[in-house]
Amino acid sequence: MDELFQKYRETGDVTIRNKIAEKYLYIAAVIAKKFVGRGVEYDDLYQVASLALIRGIERFDPEKGIKFSTYITPSIAGEIKNYFRDRARLVHLPRTVTELRARIRRATEELTAETGKNPSAAELAARLRVSEEEVVRAMEAGVTVSLDRPAEDGTSNYYDTIPAPDDGSIERMESADMLSVAVRGLNRRERTFLRLRYGEALSQAETAKRMGVSQMSVSRLERKVLAQIRENVRKDMS
Amino acid sequence: MNALMKVCFPIRTELMTTVRLMTGGLGSHVGLGVDDTEDCKACVTESLLMLLSAGYRSAELLFSEDDGLSVSVTGTDKTQNKVPMYEEEISMALLEALSEGFVIEKEAGVLRTLRFRFAL
Repeated sequence: MDELFQKYRETGDVTIRNKIAEKYLYIAAVIAKKFVGRGVEYDDLYQVASLALIRGIERFDPEKGIKFSTYITPSIAGEIKNYFRDRARLVHLPRTVTELRARIRRATEELTAETGKNPSAAELAARLRVSEEEVVRAMEAGVTVSLDRPAEDGTSNYYDTIPAPDDGSIERMESADMLSVAVRGLNRRERTFLRLRYGEALSQAETAKRMGVSQMSVSRLERKVLAQIRENVRKDMS
Repeated sequence: MNALMKVCFPIRTELMTTVRLMTGGLGSHVGLGVDDTEDCKACVTESLLMLLSAGYRSAELLFSEDDGLSVSVTGTDKTQNKVPMYEEEISMALLEALSEGFVIEKEAGVLRTLRFRFAL
């Protein structure tokens, strides 16, 4: 791996950087999971962590004798914390979040703006006229499972049970299955229309040009095909 | 440094939320900000995971007030069965990144105590 880093530093070849990133992407996932439950979705955290990973790869110098995982972990954690500071206040809270949790977030924003520092639970409690205990409990309970607690097997934590970002193959299989039902009974011309209009995302005019027909014909064809698809799906689901 | 609370407990899944609540309560008590309190909870849990993977079945948590919150997490009731750590290096680097003055103490080369602090 050090050779790859060295090679990347010498050549700046993005394919080498991407190879390194693939190898270490799990670190971004592990660290992002540690910060779940603070009002920002995992996917957003993972994205921030991944970008930090790539920036870290670009800066990392293997000749300094430090392991990459040791070097990158604080960088990723730092980026995530910056993200919380800069952006988390703007993220809409999930529907499942309790009213008190939402009020705590709002009060945190207000107090941070007023005092320039992150408020304590006591300050939040005073602002919201609730007990400190209620604030602490709302921050912890009823909002999200504590995913960084050890899992039942004792060898990992619950964050590790969150599925890793996959390549979307399952979604693709389901989509393909649904699609085969939807297009059942369509003739070749109608399928060609679908491929051009929705597969290649062409406009009606472009689709008409490719099919050698008028735009009006395409418009009629579209209504007919969509009606047929709706009917096929409805039958399949009933 | 004023000792605030000392707790011994088995490192078990069902107690982790309680430990996090307690940590949050003490963070609040000493006046830590909510983000630091969240980080402190993550560090406590991470420390317990590390001790568990080193083969400890129980832990002793000591919280002290020291212009912030100082935490000492010590493994007790050691077994011979070490559970492979999923990412020990990452855990250590994370603790170092999130807290101040993170140190570990080893006994015969085996992890025994983790200490860290969150300043006001």
